[in-house]
Parts: sequence; structure tokens; C-alpha cells
Amino acid sequence: MPAKKITLEFNDKVVRQFLLATLAWGIVGMLVGVFVASQLNFFQLNFNTSWLSFGRLRPLHTNAVIFAFVGNMMFAGIYYSTQRLVKARLASDFLSQLHFWGWQAIIVAAAITLPLGLTRGKEYAELIWPLNIAVAFIWVVFAVNFFWTLARRRERSLYVAIWFYIATIVTVAMLYIVNHLSLPTSLTHSYPIFGGVQDGLVQWWYGHNAVAFFLTTPILGIMYYFIPKAAERPVYSYRLSIIHFWSLVFVYIWAGPHHLLNTALPDWLQTLGMTFSLMLWAPSWGGMLNGLLTLRGAWHKLRTDPVLKFMAAAVTFYGMATFEGPLLSIKSVSALGHYTDWIVGHVHLGALGWNGFMAAGMIYWLLPRLWNRPLHSTSLANTHFWIGTVGILFYVAAMWTSGITQGLMLSATSEGGTVLTYPNFVDTLNTIRPMMLMRVVGGGLYLTGFVLLGYNVWKTIRGAQVVNGTIEVFDDEETAAPAERVGVFGTFLNPPVLFSAMAGGFACAWMFGDTTLSIVGLVGAVFCMVCALMHWKSRNTAWGAWYDRLLINTAPFTVLTFIAVAAGGMIQIIPVVIAHRGSTIEGRRQVPYSPLELAGRDIYVREGCYNCHSQMIRTLVPDVLRYGDYSRLGESIYDHPYQWGSKRTGPDLARVGGKYPDVWHLRHMEDPRTVSAGSNMPNYPWLFQNATDVKALPAKLAVQRKIGVPYPNWTPEQIEARVNEQATKIAADLRAAGAYVDHNREIVALIAYLQHLGKFDEVSGADNRTTAQ
Amino acid sequence: MSPTPPTDEPIRPHVFDGIQEYDKRLPNWWLYSLYVTIVFWIGYWAYYEWLHIGPSSTEVVDAAMGKIEAQRLSATKLDDAGLWQMSHNATFVEAGQAAFVSNCAACHLASGRGKSESPAAIGPDLIDTAWIHGGRPVQIHDVIMKGVPEKGMPTWGPVLGAKKVTDITAFLLSKHKEGEPITVEGAKP
Repeated sequence: MPAKKITLEFNDKVVRQFLLATLAWGIVGMLVGVFVASQLNFFQLNFNTSWLSFGRLRPLHTNAVIFAFVGNMMFAGIYYSTQRLVKARLASDFLSQLHFWGWQAIIVAAAITLPLGLTRGKEYAELIWPLNIAVAFIWVVFAVNFFWTLARRRERSLYVAIWFYIATIVTVAMLYIVNHLSLPTSLTHSYPIFGGVQDGLVQWWYGHNAVAFFLTTPILGIMYYFIPKAAERPVYSYRLSIIHFWSLVFVYIWAGPHHLLNTALPDWLQTLGMTFSLMLWAPSWGGMLNGLLTLRGAWHKLRTDPVLKFMAAAVTFYGMATFEGPLLSIKSVSALGHYTDWIVGHVHLGALGWNGFMAAGMIYWLLPRLWNRPLHSTSLANTHFWIGTVGILFYVAAMWTSGITQGLMLSATSEGGTVLTYPNFVDTLNTIRPMMLMRVVGGGLYLTGFVLLGYNVWKTIRGAQVVNGTIEVFDDEETAAPAERVGVFGTFLNPPVLFSAMAGGFACAWMFGDTTLSIVGLVGAVFCMVCALMHWKSRNTAWGAWYDRLLINTAPFTVLTFIAVAAGGMIQIIPVVIAHRGSTIEGRRQVPYSPLELAGRDIYVREGCYNCHSQMIRTLVPDVLRYGDYSRLGESIYDHPYQWGSKRTGPDLARVGGKYPDVWHLRHMEDPRTVSAGSNMPNYPWLFQNATDVKALPAKLAVQRKIGVPYPNWTPEQIEARVNEQATKIAADLRAAGAYVDHNREIVALIAYLQHLGKFDEVSGADNRTTAQ
Repeated sequence: MSPTPPTDEPIRPHVFDGIQEYDKRLPNWWLYSLYVTIVFWIGYWAYYEWLHIGPSSTEVVDAAMGKIEAQRLSATKLDDAGLWQMSHNATFVEAGQAAFVSNCAACHLASGRGKSESPAAIGPDLIDTAWIHGGRPVQIHDVIMKGVPEKGMPTWGPVLGAKKVTDITAFLLSKHKEGEPITVEGAKP
């Protein structure tokens, strides 16, 4: 069979490009991170400047670190390893370059638009709609380039790293598209088609699984390539790879609602979010075990090899973060930790420890191989490792202490549990200030480590000869002989898939069916599992043979992966989208915003207020004592995007409307410290200068009507008249209180919005639960 | 690869870019932690969402806030408004019902309907809108506290104590509506 032997040159140019971009954007993203962390300590660092304010820069930090730093690192790792694992050069040099430059252009566009306040107002999904389309397009370019390469492979079977890359590509596409469905009102602004609880559910289905399929699965694939390469040891267990891959991609998707525990989200979704998060612990640790145990027999190399140091530490941090995640997903732990710095610490354990250290390890490993020169300084790399590790520990320990301290203070009651011990939110903020400062130190150390990496890279590659990897192959090697193709029947009609599908179907019947159906479902699910176990015990070689055959077939493998990841989201989201506005408003319906209030809301979103303020009073006594009656589903149904928030650097605002006079809000936005001593909120002087964009309102209201908000069909003149009427009234009220501001200023619209928060109509006939207060 | 590869370790025949794979058994502790979390999911779902044995989130917070409100109310002045508020609070009503059943039901019957339910009962109906000694909350409270010895209603204040008398008043009021038409009949003070 072997015919002509040819030498194949890999496309390592694009790998070098992505690698250098990783480094550059990583340092930029971390620098912004250290800056925004400093702003939390010293409000003066907001410089009274809109595009430097925390609410606009924090999204820049998160987007830069996730999509620019880890994104570029992922592409570098995937392109480098895939070419070698499938023995084929990347399919298209053009697509590779389009991918690289397209992605960098998107990052630059994001770095410009986010500080300008152009945002969709959803975390990690802030980019405006034209950029969303660009991201989707470039992702498709990536996918085509990747799958085309697989199609031209000379390696018949797909290695475990490739499984993770496939899962990444299909799942991120699905998540990104659904969570970015929007209707534009202008070239730079749009409203998400989902609102309220739907939007919240979709957002965290996306947000949680961005962590899973953007920050975890591609990096696991990279781990599966680079750790065995660097350690020169075989991967610990192939069957563990199989089990943890499929359980991870299936279970991860369901866990999204753990970001919304104790909120108005229906209980059944909270239960799924919590229990599936717990079930996620073992699959996550499967990856950690396979990474760490691959180092058996190579541990001594950790003493000398910075690559293995970084990677072993990264996998350990991964294990810590994926243990902490399920822990935080327990409802009662979430009650304490959610909205606090504990969550911030948790994500940074993953981002700095897992992603950052994997990136560093990968870069140190690739440098000599891509530039044909040994690393400039191993001791500098070791210094990087220790500075980075100490930085992470500082950061995470500070955030744990800070989060738990603030959580306990916010929950503390006295006088027999009837009164809050710390009724002033700012008291709890000022208690954790030392920890907030320590976090800056930790983050600064970590950044310093990356600067050392940058220096090391520069010294290594300056004047070095670039080198592209090559491999000798036979030019007529085939991927799969026709007899080994599984085909449609082979994909679905085989014991593992059938048993899984049936058990899943029965389990759903148990969870969601009426009495009879649920009993049938439970019995059926257990029966399926027993049958599957028995069948596997007697015929496990057949199972193994089927899986080996599946690994030769990219398309069937991809289809099965997609089904596994799509199932959880469909089961959670579809019922909520269908049932939402009918029956599940819990007796209250939000009063739609007036045009002026809507304009104010868009200002609230533009300034990124949601980064520090939630609008969701949880079904927890400390929340109710502090902020009032807990939020009902119906009270945010017209919110596109929803603004429930995920962090309370400041207090919740769900019922702030009517709590203070207009002039309080004016003074507070002018200089928060005049009415709230010790606050770390920025000043917003530009709201007093900018005029409210009334001209945009007709288009905005038209879109709002289209997505289901019951606005009458007002003419632009009617809208303007309404705006003027309400704004004049507020300005008069402010004047009476001694504050002079023109009625067309943005501050007036924002005050109108804030004073509206918490307004609802009682809806009779629906769920009439007695209220607590 | 390694100078001394561990023995008895099955290794997969295929090599990917120099990477080999063992096929080691899954660690038992790992498998069992997966199984335990799956069993936990089944149990938790059954407890809260299937059999509805566990309370819902809102039930938990409503009950907890009710208790806090009860504590706050017990410090408020005993007037009509305060007693009406207590009649909407489960803590007062439940305690009042317990005290009523053990102390008052002998004459007024457990239902509180007294003579209306059974002519053999000693005490009058407390659920209808007709009152003998006044139907305002403070009047009801007063009657229980001081009694109407000449009509056979004992002086309960010293026996039950202030708290239980208030609880019973709240319980009785929970069977009534604020602002309902009251007729006062019979004995003059």
C-alpha cells in the first residue's frame, strides 16, 4: 500500500501569530484587570471620565482575558496540535490568515467599542451586534478550516484532544448564536429577543458554558497534547478519557442555573442547576486525574522543566476550581457566597491558575520549537512560575476572605433575628477593603510574571530563525476504508447510544411527567441502566469496537457530541420560553417603562451598572430584610436585556424606585460620597452634560414592541412629548430641591429609570402567594 | 519512552504524534463519587420536585419572614390594627389555634362555632359576625382577658397569660375579615 513518501510542512506561521497575540492580549487584559481592581479601591482612578470608568472597563477586562487571551491561546494550541495529531497541514492558508486577522480585528473593535459604552449589557456577551456577526463568521472560518483539515487527515483515528476541540467548536457556536439573538435599533445598538427570566436563563446557559467550552474543553484538549509530549509519558487512561469526555460535555450544559440560585428562577431549574453541578465534579476531576497521573514516572522533571511546572500547577488549580464550583452550587453555600468576591476568586482560580498557567506552559514549550532556538532563560521562567503562583494565592485567598466576610456581614442579624446588624451596605464594603487591596497585589504579581514571560519570549525570538515542523507521510494514506464507516445506522443504532438515549428519555419522563408517566420514567430509567450495565459486562469488547470505529468517523462523532451538548439546554430553555409570559409571573406584572425611563435604562446598561448592582432580591431572609419583598418573575418580564446581575459591589436596586427623592439620585451620581460616605462608586459627571438621545427612541420602542413589550403605536412626536413632559416634571422636582439641571440631560432620564424600579401591577387569578411584608 | 515502564499496564496500540495511551481502570473512589452525586440528584429531585416533600424556596422565606414579623408584632401596642396584623401572621394564628383547642374548645367547640354547631355547646358562636360583648379586636381580647363571669366565661388572663390571650385573639380574627359588618346583640355591659 505505501507508495510515495513525501515531506509535509505544517502551517506553523499561524501558530506563531496566535502565540504572540496570546502574549500581547494577555498582558493587556491583565493590565486592565489590575487597573479596574485598583479602581475598586480608589474611586479617583475613574478620572471622572466615561471611557475610563469601572462599569465600561470591567467588560473590557473580562472580554480581553476570555476571548483575546484564552481565545488566541486556544487557537495556537489547537492549530499546532491538530496538524500533528492528524498528520496534515492546515487545510487552507487563506482561512488560517483570515481567522487570525479577523479575530484580532474583532478584539481591536471590542477594545474601542466597550469603553465607548457600546454594549449589549449581558456579561461576556457585551459586544454589539455587528461584532457578534463578525465573531460568528470568524468562528465558522475556524470550524471550516479545522474540519477540512480533519477531512484531509492521514491519521485514521481521532485522538482525545481532537474530541475536545470538536466539542468546543460546535458548542460555542450554538451558545454564541442563541445568546446573541437580538433585534437592532441602530448600527450600534440592539435589544436581545429574550427578556427577564428567559434572558437570564439563556445568559447563564451561555455564560456558564462559555467557561465550559471556551475556557475548559479546548484547554483540556491542549492538556492532552502538551502534557504527554512534555512529560514524555503515555496518557494515564484511555477509558477515563472516554468516560470523562462524554460525561463532561453532557453534564456541563445543565449546570447554568447555578448562577441564579435563590432568585425568582423557577425552583425546578434551580434544582437541576445545583444537582448537575454536583454531578459535574467527578467528570471534571476525570480530566485532572488524566493530566496529573500522566506525570507518573516524570515527576522528577518538574524540578527542572518550567513547562511541566506550569502544567502540573495548572491542572491542580483546575482541580481546585472544579471542586469549588460544585461546592458553590449548593443552594445554601450560594446564599452566602453569591454576589460576593468569593465568586470573583473562584473564576480567577480558573482563569489565572488553569488558563493562564496552561498558556504559559504551552508558550514555553512551543518557543524553542517554533523559533529554533532554546529558551532565553529557564531561571526567568522559574521566577515567572513562582511569582505567578504567589500572585494567585494572594488573589484567591484575599477573595475568599473578602467574600465570606462580606457574605456573613450582609446576612448578620441582631435583636432576635429581626434587624440587620449592618444595615448600611457601605459598612460591609469598607470592612473588606484591605482584602480588595491585597487582590491588586496578587493580580499585580501575576501580571509581573507575564511581563517576564514577554521579556523571555522577546529575548528568545529576537533574530531567531522561524522554523516550521515537518513530517514524512505517504501521499496516498486513506482516512477510513469504506467498511469502517459507521453510517447513519451505525451512529445511532448501537448499544451505547441507544441505552443512553433511552435512559435520558425515561429520566425526563420521570422529572417532567404526571404521576403515572413519572413512575414509568423512573422504572424505565433504572431498567435501562441495569440493562446497559449487564450488556456492557457481557459485550464490552463490542462497545469498545464500536467506539474505535466511531473515532474514525468525524461527522458521526460530531453529531453525537452536538446531541449530547444540546440536550440539556433544550430541556431547560424551551419550557421557560414557551410558558413564560402566560402562567409564571407569580401574580405580578412589571409596569413597562415610559419612553424616558427606557432611555434611562439604556444609559444604565451603557454605563455597565450591572457590573456592581443586581436587580434581584433573592428568596432569602437577609435579602428581604435589606432590600424588601423578594423579586417575582413577572417583575422583570419586559427587561431586554435582563439586569439581575451577578455581583453586588453595591447594593441591589430591584426596589430602589421611590426609596429616595430625585435629588438624592442626582447628588449620588454627581459624587456618591456626598450622600453615601465611604462609597467606592465612580462619579458620573458626563451624565450632566450629555443630552438624552430622544431621537433614537422611536426605533427602540418599535423594536421593543416587536419583542413583546406592550407599547402603544406612538408617533415620534408623541414619544417626544411624553419624554418632555416627564423630564420637565423631574427637573422641576429637582429644582424645588435646589438642584438645577436641564430636563434634557441624561441624568434626568437615569433618575426616571431608577425611580421606576420595582413598579408592578398585581395580577389577580394568577399565583397569589402571601407576601412577607 | 520511559527507561523503566511500569509493568502490567495495558497500553493502546495506536500512537499519535508520539503520544501513547494506557488504558488503566477508572479509580474506584472516582467512580463512586460520580455514582453518589447521581443518586443525590435522584433523591433531591424526588424530595423537592417530584414528591414535593420539601418546601419551595418561597415557602421557606415566607415562613421565616412570618416568624420575624411575629417577633416584631409582639413588641407592638395591642390595638385593633396590631391585632388584625397578627391575625394574618401564621405564627400567631397557629399558636392561637393550639391554645384555643386546649382551653376554649370545651365550650366553643374546636370549630369555634359553639351553639351554632351544636345546641349542646355551652359557648356562643365565635365565627359568625354577631357578637355579644363587642366584635372589635380589642373588645374580643378584653373579653378573653377579663372574662364575663356572670355569663360563664372565665377570666383567662391570669390563667393563660398575656401572650396566649393575644394568640387566641389573632386566631379568632383570622376567621374574620377586617371591616366585615358586625352586629352586637344581647347583654349590655
